[in-house]
Amino acid sequence: MRLATLLLIAALAAQGVDSPRKVFPLPYEQHDFPNGLRLVTVPTEFPNVVALYIVVQAGSRNEVEPGKSGFAHFFEHMMFRGTKNYPPEKYEAVKANAGAASNAYTSDDLTVYHMTFSKEDLPKMLEIEADRFQNLEYSEAAFRTEALAVLGEYNKNSSSPVSKLFEALRETAFDRHTYKHTTMGFLKDIQDMPNQYAYSREFFQRYYRPEYVTIIVVGDVQPASVRTLVARYFGAWKRGSYRAEIPQEPPQTGPREAKVDWPTPTLPWLAVAYKAPAYSDVNKDGAALDLIAYLGFSPTSDLYQKLVIREQKVDMLSASNPDHADPYLFMVMSRIKSPADAASVKEDILKTFAAFKDRLVPAERLETLKRHLRYSFALRLDNSEAIAATLARYVALTRTPETVNRKYELYMQITPEDIRQAARKYFNDDGRTVVTLATAPPKGGTSK
Amino acid sequence: MRLAALAFLVSSLAWPKTEVVALPGKSPLVNFRIVFRVGAASDPAGKHGAAALTAAMLSRGGTKSMTYKQVVDALFPMAASIQEQVDKEMTVFSGVTHIDNLENYYRIFREALLEPGWREEDLKRLRDDLINYLQITLRGNNDEELGKEVLYNEIYRGRPYGWNNAGAVADLQAITMEDLKKFYREHFTQANLILGVAGGYPPGFLDRVKKDFAALPAGVEKPLKLPSPAPISATRVVMVEKKTRSVAYSLGFPIEVRRGHPDYPALLVAQSYLGQHRQSTGRLYQRMREARGLNYGDYAYIEYFPRGMFQFEPDPNLARQQQIFQIWIRPVEPPTAHFALRLAMFELNRFLRDGISEEAFQKTRNFVSKYVNLLLKTKDAELGYAIDSRWYGIPDYPAYIRQALAKMTREDVNRAIRKHLRSDRMVVVVVAQDCDALKRQFLSEAPSPMTYNAPKPEEITREDKIIETLKLGFQPENIQIVPVEKIFE
Repeated sequence: MRLATLLLIAALAAQGVDSPRKVFPLPYEQHDFPNGLRLVTVPTEFPNVVALYIVVQAGSRNEVEPGKSGFAHFFEHMMFRGTKNYPPEKYEAVKANAGAASNAYTSDDLTVYHMTFSKEDLPKMLEIEADRFQNLEYSEAAFRTEALAVLGEYNKNSSSPVSKLFEALRETAFDRHTYKHTTMGFLKDIQDMPNQYAYSREFFQRYYRPEYVTIIVVGDVQPASVRTLVARYFGAWKRGSYRAEIPQEPPQTGPREAKVDWPTPTLPWLAVAYKAPAYSDVNKDGAALDLIAYLGFSPTSDLYQKLVIREQKVDMLSASNPDHADPYLFMVMSRIKSPADAASVKEDILKTFAAFKDRLVPAERLETLKRHLRYSFALRLDNSEAIAATLARYVALTRTPETVNRKYELYMQITPEDIRQAARKYFNDDGRTVVTLATAPPKGGTSK
Repeated sequence: MRLAALAFLVSSLAWPKTEVVALPGKSPLVNFRIVFRVGAASDPAGKHGAAALTAAMLSRGGTKSMTYKQVVDALFPMAASIQEQVDKEMTVFSGVTHIDNLENYYRIFREALLEPGWREEDLKRLRDDLINYLQITLRGNNDEELGKEVLYNEIYRGRPYGWNNAGAVADLQAITMEDLKKFYREHFTQANLILGVAGGYPPGFLDRVKKDFAALPAGVEKPLKLPSPAPISATRVVMVEKKTRSVAYSLGFPIEVRRGHPDYPALLVAQSYLGQHRQSTGRLYQRMREARGLNYGDYAYIEYFPRGMFQFEPDPNLARQQQIFQIWIRPVEPPTAHFALRLAMFELNRFLRDGISEEAFQKTRNFVSKYVNLLLKTKDAELGYAIDSRWYGIPDYPAYIRQALAKMTREDVNRAIRKHLRSDRMVVVVVAQDCDALKRQFLSEAPSPMTYNAPKPEEITREDKIIETLKLGFQPENIQIVPVEKIFE
């Protein structure tokens, strides 16, 4: 057995919560190439398989021009439309030959291209990925056809009221920042996508540049040979110079509300959100809000126990403070079993927020949560693909896995007073947005 | 050979009635998959949903000594949970814990399964959850999963697979606590049990688990005898009417092939070529989405694969004696709906007529031989597949597939296609708004020419000319329009 593997098993086995070890226990190599490209290699004990995640620090946040919502995601589709050397059929054939599972996804701050395959195929996979990141070439006809597949994606999402709820929440909560629209984009912009060929080339020139990209390789690999391969295939990639001017969101100055009518029978949904700070592994506010999502709204919380378990007024309740490059939202979503309870559920949720501003969280409960967080993270690292996927979302924010360790160290330092301070700073009426979604009343009825 | 494969243990000596699948390893995690050979197919008449509700009471209700709140509070610091999955013939309880917490976690897991709490307030909440799943989540919020589930219901109508795994709304409302206790006593027995444990558990742990589960009633081994699915004499179309902006299709028919059948590996290759799930390599995807932009994707299946819109690999422990062949066409824009169905049938006809080429065969075989590695990339999946292999009576899944692939020829695949697949005598499920208009289009057999937003290669426009007039051959008496409110009631 190789030494690296033995060390790794030891590292994983020692990963108890009471030890002072880092939450991300695996040794990794981080390497910067002269063109600005960064490579993170994590050797693991899991045999044969390699996960390759290519993270581009551009997402729907970068859609700064009007009429271009949804473009980062659309562009992700175009990345599968081939190059001179590898037209789509040839690219697909290479992947199929490798038995690779591959896909891509786009979010507010990132676009990720990922593949999982057998280790002997790593050189070829890096070669075809390097080729499309540098030499993407597609016809206007292919571009227009792919725009329809994006519309198909919008269509398949459109039967879910949650997509609509999110759309309305962001539209209501933001005025200037691009977080105002979802990653999918507005329907009218999606329908206009076929006409944006020239802009798509511009988008590629701006963001598909080494300084925006971090390559993550996790699995049955040696860092030195991965470095050599990446240098070979990505070394000639030219650095770019574009920097997007992302509009700053002005402070919110009053509570906002919106109502969404849903065309088919559904249970009512209620979203309550407050403006929240950008991701940070240094500042305690965001970390404290992350903890409040659990303390206030997870299945062990008083509110969940009341609404879901005892009174059974609600059948879904969750909260999150998603990591974002710029200030975003702390959100609570709930599905209410009977429209008659909507008002009282809303009141209970608001009271829960208010309580964090008044009372200190019991220290013991906070310690329990800290244990939960460390175990939850450890349980996620059960295969190479999961490790790469977990790192990708952090790397998109800071370009280094070390941020995971810093963030979890920050969690460990949070005190009940830190939580109260963060609640007082962010859970104020001025920063609140409430959106409700319910079945549209029959025609001629009232919307009250 | 992988270490895990060498360590694959089979033990049925000490407690003769219980099967054990154990995959010991050095991981700091321990995975559980406790399987009972019972599921929705055993729901008593008038009590459809009994299996689902019983399983939910175990995994998401309190235990004899702990309320559900106490269970949740106890699991929280470990970041652990107990998940249940109910299919036609299998119910699995799964969970994972860090080795630090093994004792505490197992104590709760064991009690949940062996000493359920049977509290009325849990029953009320879980019954609501299942009804809301059927009425709101499935019927209202997910046209694609709705179409797939209706397809199964329709193909197996009047048979033990003929209702949703979550049951039926009226039955769920009528099920009592006594019904659940009875279902539990009769089916959650040692004879029906497969204990699956994997990961870094300590020596002696497995024996303890076996001993604990020996507290279940012995039961008798009574394999479920299923009647053959009703023959389909002509294609039936079920159109689900609901307010929606697009048209979703699922179509298929029963096949005799399942894991262990001599043609399973060949049909797996055929299916991968035609429509590997959520990959861009399949023929249907290439012709429908890639070349024509009709929708988000198009795939083919020879095994039940629920929740496919949310995941790339199937969940294990959905083993069935009977499977169907299925094509999934993701939602299309209404003006192209008729053409899209014609194109899918055109491709299926071509597939039946030409089979796959030698080149395509080599490529697909190579893909499948490597892809099986990815299916088993987690310890949890490895454990689940090992249990399924036991159920189907086949060797370790990757070995089973690779050995068959090594001997397979193109002719084996083409013979399997000709023998098991067809394009007539199927069930077509359509989820759409204004089904009446679409029905009239189907029956008229009128041309459905395509217009594109960009020039197409001549090869496509020429092919479109043939497809736009392709006869679907549906008969009016075989087309039924069902309001969505009537489904799963």
